[in-house]
Amino acid sequence: MTYRELDLRADAIARTLAERGVEAGDRVVLWSAKSADLVASTQAVLRLGAAYVPVSAGVPPRRVALIARDCTASAVLAPEDLLDTLPPDALPGVRMVAPGTAREDGPRGAGHRRGPRPEDPAYVLYTSGSTGTPKGVVVSHSAALAFVGWAASELDAREDDVFANHASLGFDLSVLDLYAAFRAGAAVSLVPEYLAHDAVALVDFVHAEGISVWYSVPSALVLMMREGRLLDRPPPPGLRAVLFAGEPFPIDRVRALARWSAARLLNLYGPTETNVCAFHEVTPSDLERDRPVPIGRASCGSSLLVLKDGRPAAPGEEGGLHVEGPTLMTGYWGHEPLRGPHPTGDIVRVLPDGALDFVGRADSMLKVRGHRVEPGDVEAALSTHPAVEEVAVVGAGTGLDARLVAFVVPRGTGMGVLSVKRHASERLAPHMVPDLVRFVEALPHNRNGKTDRAALAARLADTAANGGMS
Amino acid sequence: MNEALERNEVTERLMAFVRERFLDGDPHGELEETSPLVEWGVLNSLNSAILLNFIHREFAGAVPLEHISAANFRDVRSISAMLCAQR
Repeated sequence: MTYRELDLRADAIARTLAERGVEAGDRVVLWSAKSADLVASTQAVLRLGAAYVPVSAGVPPRRVALIARDCTASAVLAPEDLLDTLPPDALPGVRMVAPGTAREDGPRGAGHRRGPRPEDPAYVLYTSGSTGTPKGVVVSHSAALAFVGWAASELDAREDDVFANHASLGFDLSVLDLYAAFRAGAAVSLVPEYLAHDAVALVDFVHAEGISVWYSVPSALVLMMREGRLLDRPPPPGLRAVLFAGEPFPIDRVRALARWSAARLLNLYGPTETNVCAFHEVTPSDLERDRPVPIGRASCGSSLLVLKDGRPAAPGEEGGLHVEGPTLMTGYWGHEPLRGPHPTGDIVRVLPDGALDFVGRADSMLKVRGHRVEPGDVEAALSTHPAVEEVAVVGAGTGLDARLVAFVVPRGTGMGVLSVKRHASERLAPHMVPDLVRFVEALPHNRNGKTDRAALAARLADTAANGGMS
Repeated sequence: MNEALERNEVTERLMAFVRERFLDGDPHGELEETSPLVEWGVLNSLNSAILLNFIHREFAGAVPLEHISAANFRDVRSISAMLCAQR
């Protein structure tokens, strides 16, 4: 698809949405597998002065409805086969539109009635919420632009670049792929979702498309190395930058990548709430470290504040990372706008040269293969299963071998792993479905009566140490 | 051995592997040939790779495997159909 074709397609979809009553200031849920029409739909929504809310095709109808209700969407734009799976009364008053019905032979310029203001929302990204309701991170045009401008400039994005779009549009990583490419007039190759299940085919894709800039979670790269034999053949000739974010990248895998390709290796850091606020380019001396590379220094004009007991942490000390700057979210949808720095909940260490190392989390939020998961979100979904008496969710392992584990106290007998997974997958995004389910007679509690997650995590560590966990 | 029997055997071996490896043995016999493995979160990217490696080990020689893609793993029935179509 050329940029001209994208422009025509976006215009046609914008006209269809406008005819169905979508207006400036609205939210439109885009629920779809990756496709040219999905990308055109994002631009169509923006042309109307509305904000898009991307949700991948693997997210079940129930959660899509929850998200559409939470952000008071005026329309859900999705292929017919997905729309058909929504119960008819799930979203009263919300228009259901299939982009396939948009025709390109009508009058041009449906949008453009008024350009958005910099502070208007451009998109809302839904992420796991600790109480069972997904949280919508509202990103304004100015925040997105501050990030995209930085990324395009840092990468020196050029017209002959080919960006791989690996992350689905619901994850903030995709913002760089699409918009840095748009900014430079470069190509972007959408990695189809099903290739996540076939590492060999994914590696073939990188070669066939002649990717020059790759950006993904480290787990995807580790899977490509381990199962897709990425390193067995020379890198694609045009490959000049490999970017990663979302979780620590095991240093031995970074070394292997550096031996394989001369491409720049960049570690990007930032929760969805901040876009990217820090980065570090891997240097030869980093490869001699015995721990993951630093998350580095501020990017995009951000200020990074590391606070230990309310005062700035000194070099060598650890503290909570707070972020301020032009790329920050407006706030969570339906909540008070963010004022002042955003507390990331991440613990970092200040290095002697002022750069930062990631240490861990201050709360129970988990990262499972680069995706953030609030245990409370999964627990809330599982506790609605009629045969679940009590449930606690913890993480085990790191990197590609990270597992989301549900400890379930069953009510009665007869419930198995498949039933739990099915129940979860009907309510949660795919990356939030537990990898392992352990049935137990009771959950350990601490002195405050709360579930003792640390004891459960320790139980898993013991099992793993004895070789019992596959 | 007729074709139907072979297909049954392939299905049984796949079912046994999925039960053992991903479903704690499936003591209540919940897994069926048509249980949607990707949709219900049994196969994520990593588990698909594990299953693909098993297929390569288990059926190498018997089936030309270069056209077997984990991207088409929907349920056990579709996987065994894919394998048996290659014979």
